[in-house]
Amino acid sequence: MKIGTYEIYSLTSAILFAIGLGGVFLAKHFLRKIIATIIMGAGVFLCFVSFAKRDALTFADPIPHALVITGIVVAVTAAAFALSLARRIHKLTGEDTFGNEK
Amino acid sequence: MDILIDSLLAILTIYLAFRCMLAPKLSKAVFVFFAFGLMLALAWIRLGAVDVAIAEAAIASGFMGVLMLDSLRDFSLIFSKNQERLEETASKIPIKKDSYHWTTALALGLGLILFLLISIQAIWEVPQGGGLTAIAEANLPMSGVEHPVTAVLLNYRAYDTWLEIGVILMGLLAIFAAGGLKQYRKPGLAPAQDPLLRKTILIFTPVLFLFGAFLLYFGKMGPGGAFQAAVLWGAIGILLHLGGWTVFTVIPRRMRQILVTIGLGFFMILGFTQMATGGAFFEYPPAYAGFLILVVETLAAISIAAALTAIFAFLTK
Amino acid sequence: MKEFPTSALPALLVGLPMLLATMSLFFRVKGRALLGVLGSFLVGSLAFFAFIEVAKYGTIIHILGGWEPPLGILLRIDPLAAVFIGLTAIIGIFISLYSWWYFRARIASIGRFPLFWPLWFFLWAGLNGLFLSNDLFNLYVTIEVITICAVALAVLSGEAKALKAGLRYLLAAIIGSMAYLFGVALIYGSTGTLDLNLLGEVLKPGNTKTFALIVITLGLLIKKAAFPFHFWLPPAHSAALAPVSALLSALVVKGAFYMMLRLWTEVFEVSLTFAAGQLIGITGAAAVLWGSWQALLQTNFKLLVAHSSVAQMGYLLMMFPLLIMAPGQDADSAEWLAPAWTAGIFQVMAHAFAKASLFLSAGIVVMALGHDRIESLRDLVAWMPMTAMAIGIAGVSLIGLPPSGGFLAKWMLLKGVFLSGQWWWAPAILAGSLLTAGYVFMLLRLAFAPARVKDPFRPVPKILQVCALLLALGSFLIVIPAENLIQFLEGSKSFGSGIESIMKGGGYGNE
Repeated sequence: MKIGTYEIYSLTSAILFAIGLGGVFLAKHFLRKIIATIIMGAGVFLCFVSFAKRDALTFADPIPHALVITGIVVAVTAAAFALSLARRIHKLTGEDTFGNEK
Repeated sequence: MDILIDSLLAILTIYLAFRCMLAPKLSKAVFVFFAFGLMLALAWIRLGAVDVAIAEAAIASGFMGVLMLDSLRDFSLIFSKNQERLEETASKIPIKKDSYHWTTALALGLGLILFLLISIQAIWEVPQGGGLTAIAEANLPMSGVEHPVTAVLLNYRAYDTWLEIGVILMGLLAIFAAGGLKQYRKPGLAPAQDPLLRKTILIFTPVLFLFGAFLLYFGKMGPGGAFQAAVLWGAIGILLHLGGWTVFTVIPRRMRQILVTIGLGFFMILGFTQMATGGAFFEYPPAYAGFLILVVETLAAISIAAALTAIFAFLTK
Repeated sequence: MKEFPTSALPALLVGLPMLLATMSLFFRVKGRALLGVLGSFLVGSLAFFAFIEVAKYGTIIHILGGWEPPLGILLRIDPLAAVFIGLTAIIGIFISLYSWWYFRARIASIGRFPLFWPLWFFLWAGLNGLFLSNDLFNLYVTIEVITICAVALAVLSGEAKALKAGLRYLLAAIIGSMAYLFGVALIYGSTGTLDLNLLGEVLKPGNTKTFALIVITLGLLIKKAAFPFHFWLPPAHSAALAPVSALLSALVVKGAFYMMLRLWTEVFEVSLTFAAGQLIGITGAAAVLWGSWQALLQTNFKLLVAHSSVAQMGYLLMMFPLLIMAPGQDADSAEWLAPAWTAGIFQVMAHAFAKASLFLSAGIVVMALGHDRIESLRDLVAWMPMTAMAIGIAGVSLIGLPPSGGFLAKWMLLKGVFLSGQWWWAPAILAGSLLTAGYVFMLLRLAFAPARVKDPFRPVPKILQVCALLLALGSFLIVIPAENLIQFLEGSKSFGSGIESIMKGGGYGNE
């Protein structure tokens, strides 16, 4: 089995996704949960782009690149919204975790 | 040699992701997050995705990181008033031994590892799909631009990009909704007292503007484009705001509305015009495609930059 | 895809609400509301027109930018999409009318929520975009549009309770979309296309496909609040403003269901096992029982209605095990597929009407009393007979008593269950109905009971009550054109189709 750039990064993508997934569920602080969603996203995007690298002809497949740019912007918008919610909750109640509830 | 660099980068990225989750202090997690973004940007470059690298560094790491840093101040501000809670955050780690029973933690951990193994196996066996490189390349001359990624973003899949520009506007509205819609705090200009900060900002403003314009214009032929340029222009707004020139709050309301909607609005009107003249939504006449795409990109960049500045101004009020 | 007629309709169905939303930003509060109500009729009539066109010509497509898939994106409105778009339009018009009066009535006390109108129209654009989309990645963008708008609407009131519920909702939704996108990445990597029609042809069974199916289904289950992932729904739906709760419960959760239905029947057909369907069915049955039971225990009207949503969405999931043939069965000769599909579509419609009506009624009660504790519903019949009637009618449809839309849905589901020989779902369906009857009659008993102490209540505009009542009646009226509607739906490629299962899932366990 040949190990190249594609293989290394596609493996990394799965690991990042798992770290993010675990983080969203296990982390307590809002901010950390939000960071975790971005790490999850990074895993997914890495997966897309590693395929682009693998399937490259004269240039790398541009579709995944474009999808990833769109994806990053959308994910960051959602994360910024989550962050603003978290800050607002903190301002109103002083809480920075969901507490005992799941 | 390549493999060595790649593996090192991959291991570093994974390590930093772990640190983000496990760093005992929240502030440290945010700084590690910056580093994580930079490593990821390097990984994109290694994978030949320079556009993605710029977008990652500018948007995911840069803009999001700044927001997080700022919110960090917010989150710790109240703690410093209350020593008890400061202690609590200092020792806050995600997998708190006292809050999760060990069986739960074990089950979750095992589940996660199982998921990871399955996903690795699935990824490992992804058959060669071939991608769309060939078709994208064949249609490139008709798309009006020379850079394939720009062609995908603004021509082949312009609809997605249009929705995405919409998403940014929606995000801005959503953040207003979450903040209880109190308008910006500072009504007037209050330039920073620190002369050094003022000088820095004054120097950086034209540089960022030119660099953004460069990315925008050359997005036609090489890496760069509306989103990357928008973040640089947005950075001008944010810097000015930090320096006390709260530009976004002093311009008239109507102007603000036009600034944040013009990208989406023009793109949409263009689409409707194309349909009215017998084409499909976002079907550019080939002769004008290049020019129209540049206009769309410029206006979109202005809108996104305005939205980013507005988000920052609103959150840091 | 050349054989289908092309028209500008699909693009307009997304573009018009988007245009209205952007335009509304330039108006002050009053202008926005007026634009909103007029706009809802405009989008509604466009949806109606689309419905007529689809009835006339069948599936209509629009090739965006003139680039055919797999390079470009295709919008496609087939009978199934037309029904969902029509449903969104009808409920959207009623909710817009209701909101107009609702926010006017509340001017003095709370505020006018100027962001409601743009966000609602962006949400409408997202929903239409989702129903029309024929592209995996575009579906991701549309569900993100829907999520951001839905959460923003849910936190409009700005109360800490709503904000917390909103953040939880948002995080759950982000996990869901990321899981979905992970699956999309794997599918793109292995096929090089994102178009649903092409994928149905080129996607080969294998480990990758099975894994993609698992993560996509999990992601969508989180988004539609299926049983173990339902935790975010009740707080978010109950803490929002009344018209928003109605939108979230009636329309937003249906988006993820629609996606799941499309992907399972059009893309994943070959890698589904009988067991996978059973598993989805079990989560559905669990949701029905758990949600109904929780609803019975609630003391707040809105929380009760929200838990009932969890249960009613569970019925939708029980349609999936019927779609997958047991080993040895043949999809062409399976006579239970038509009832199962009918059950699913009618459950979507009946639940949308009934739940919108219930949440709008809850809004009326809150407006009149200032709170929504159930015991204060006493003597509702005397002081707000129309609202009491709306609650009663909507409740009857939720239970599934004849001749409501809910009855048709549950009856067809039972029919499908027995015809397919999967009788083990029947007890859950019946128990769910009994529990639903429990909480609905609890509400009605209180409504008819004489009040011990007369609560002071503020007058509520009549038109609000009329909206709620009409929506409740809607859940009965949908039965009248049932036969025509089914005939219409049969023009859709996926409607009535079954999935032939294979013995082993993609490959875990074999090769």
